[in-house]
Amino acid sequence: MALVLPALLCLASGLALVCLACPRRGPIASDLTLRASLSVGYGLGIFSLVFFLSRAFAVTNLVAVDPAVFSLLLITFLLLRNRPRTPSTSPPPTETLDLPRWLQRMLTAAFAVSLCAAVYSAVMRTLTHPHGDGWDAFSIWNLHARFLFRAGPYWRDGFNALIPWSHPDYPLLLPAAIAHFWNYLGCDDTTVPAVIGFLFTFSTVGLMFSALSILRGRTSAMLGSLALLTTPFFVELGTSQYADVPLSFFVLATISLFCLHDDRGKEASASRQPGLLVLAGLAAGFAAWTKNEGLLFLCAILAARVLILLRPEIRRDPSRAVPRENLPRENWIALATHLVAVAPAFLLIAWFKHSIAPPGDLFSDPATAFHRLIDPTRFWAILRWYGKGFLRFGHWLLIPGTLLLPGLYFATGLERTRRPQAGFRSSVLALVLTFAGYFAIYLITPYDIYWHLRFSLTRLFLHLWPSTIFLFFLVFPCGTAARRR
Amino acid sequence: MHQLSKPLSPRVTIATLIFVLGCLLSTVRILRDAPIPGHVHTDDVAKNSDQRFAALKAALPSHGVVGYVGESGNPIADYYLAQYALAPLVIDRSPNHPLVIGNFPASPPPSPSDHLQLLTDFGNGVLLFANKDAK
Repeated sequence: MALVLPALLCLASGLALVCLACPRRGPIASDLTLRASLSVGYGLGIFSLVFFLSRAFAVTNLVAVDPAVFSLLLITFLLLRNRPRTPSTSPPPTETLDLPRWLQRMLTAAFAVSLCAAVYSAVMRTLTHPHGDGWDAFSIWNLHARFLFRAGPYWRDGFNALIPWSHPDYPLLLPAAIAHFWNYLGCDDTTVPAVIGFLFTFSTVGLMFSALSILRGRTSAMLGSLALLTTPFFVELGTSQYADVPLSFFVLATISLFCLHDDRGKEASASRQPGLLVLAGLAAGFAAWTKNEGLLFLCAILAARVLILLRPEIRRDPSRAVPRENLPRENWIALATHLVAVAPAFLLIAWFKHSIAPPGDLFSDPATAFHRLIDPTRFWAILRWYGKGFLRFGHWLLIPGTLLLPGLYFATGLERTRRPQAGFRSSVLALVLTFAGYFAIYLITPYDIYWHLRFSLTRLFLHLWPSTIFLFFLVFPCGTAARRR
Repeated sequence: MHQLSKPLSPRVTIATLIFVLGCLLSTVRILRDAPIPGHVHTDDVAKNSDQRFAALKAALPSHGVVGYVGESGNPIADYYLAQYALAPLVIDRSPNHPLVIGNFPASPPPSPSDHLQLLTDFGNGVLLFANKDAK
């Protein structure tokens, strides 16, 4: 019961932030699911930041800080609630994939069965591994949480190079959020990291379902969510108390919010809808505050947005209902909004890396790293592992999900005529850049390359898997309907 | 803008059906690999960390750095379980500290050397040494 009040405060803070920035959109059920799913991530992100900053500034009375943060968000929401909003003129999403009724029912049943199976598996795994399933759970994430919670003013002790392999340079979204709840409980109860892992796992599914439902309809939403729920490794890792699924959540949140924003841009000037951009920027910042790989994604999405939004042909895009001469300015405003939203997390990470954490292990020897970078045998080794990992990382039974998606795409042979939105194109580019960044990290790794690939590649693939499914189903069924103006 | 849907071809229907069935196959794996109710055996992390080092923890300072000596076979796993249990103390894998933890879960502890003096044997392979030579 002691966990209920801080949990409500956490979710309420997240919800206030989401409602503050996210205009109502789509069917009520999808809109509520979207808000609820986002609230989990943003609430935990806020809780993490609040706890870390209170530790950094030696604030001990969190009971006063948390309601103050929530009140601030609530007051801002109430003040801005009556501001003039651009009315949504978009029609509700039309089902673009009209399956026969029997198949529609089968899909619904398959989705329900898979959801129940995933929940069941998650609960049973958590009961079996209360401290997390795997070394990283208690040698990195929960260990850092214990230092933040138990050490009081000496919390920095945990982030030094004396503890090998604990990666003291890893960002602290997950440990600080866990420690925040422990602070309320007064003990380091294993329930907290377990529940947080569970929430991130199923919020990722909820986010995928609701965003696809708003953008493409219920059938696409169910197909996408089914593909994610039936990825065994996603459920396993989600309940392992690692930070990989939380990172997947924030990557998906960033991408889905950009797609929602850019889809909405069809009907109204994007500069009038900065809320979704702010939320997307915050999500990218939280991704960077979750894992170092999130920092790579943050740079990738920034670069992708700059490249896509400022390309000259965008100005000639006839589907945008904005006067042509306003588009460059509108895009600059969008980029500036995104940068402003990213800035707090970026500054926090910079301070953490510079002032608290010891240097990371990957860039310890730049000269040797350069030699590794141009070693063709390492390229070949990584390519082979990427090929194997592409088929295996999800721990699927018989048919890999990475073959099912392209199989569905090519087997249907549907006509695809619709030009993807800027949000889609920048998201794809960001994922490709992140993927390439992972490749580069393996090239320069100071560790044995095979050891490094063996113990991390599948998790890196999983970071991008929910977003890949989301983007696939965002464009997949477009050709099934003839569009008329 | 509105959309006019056209009927799906049998090819699309079959492809979607195969996709759904392919996904359901992996649901079988999720269920098969999940622990069975009534046969849930909690792993040994708590037993090998928090419970095993509880008495030692009470005898150590609340923060700072202490040394560590352990077995030679698979020391890193034992070390992490000790570090996890004893946080926020920092456990340095070196005997060059005034207080040194001995962690020997599977083999008999070493006999006291010139510089390591046994202070307390907590049982179960958990010991506390003093290092006279450490500054």
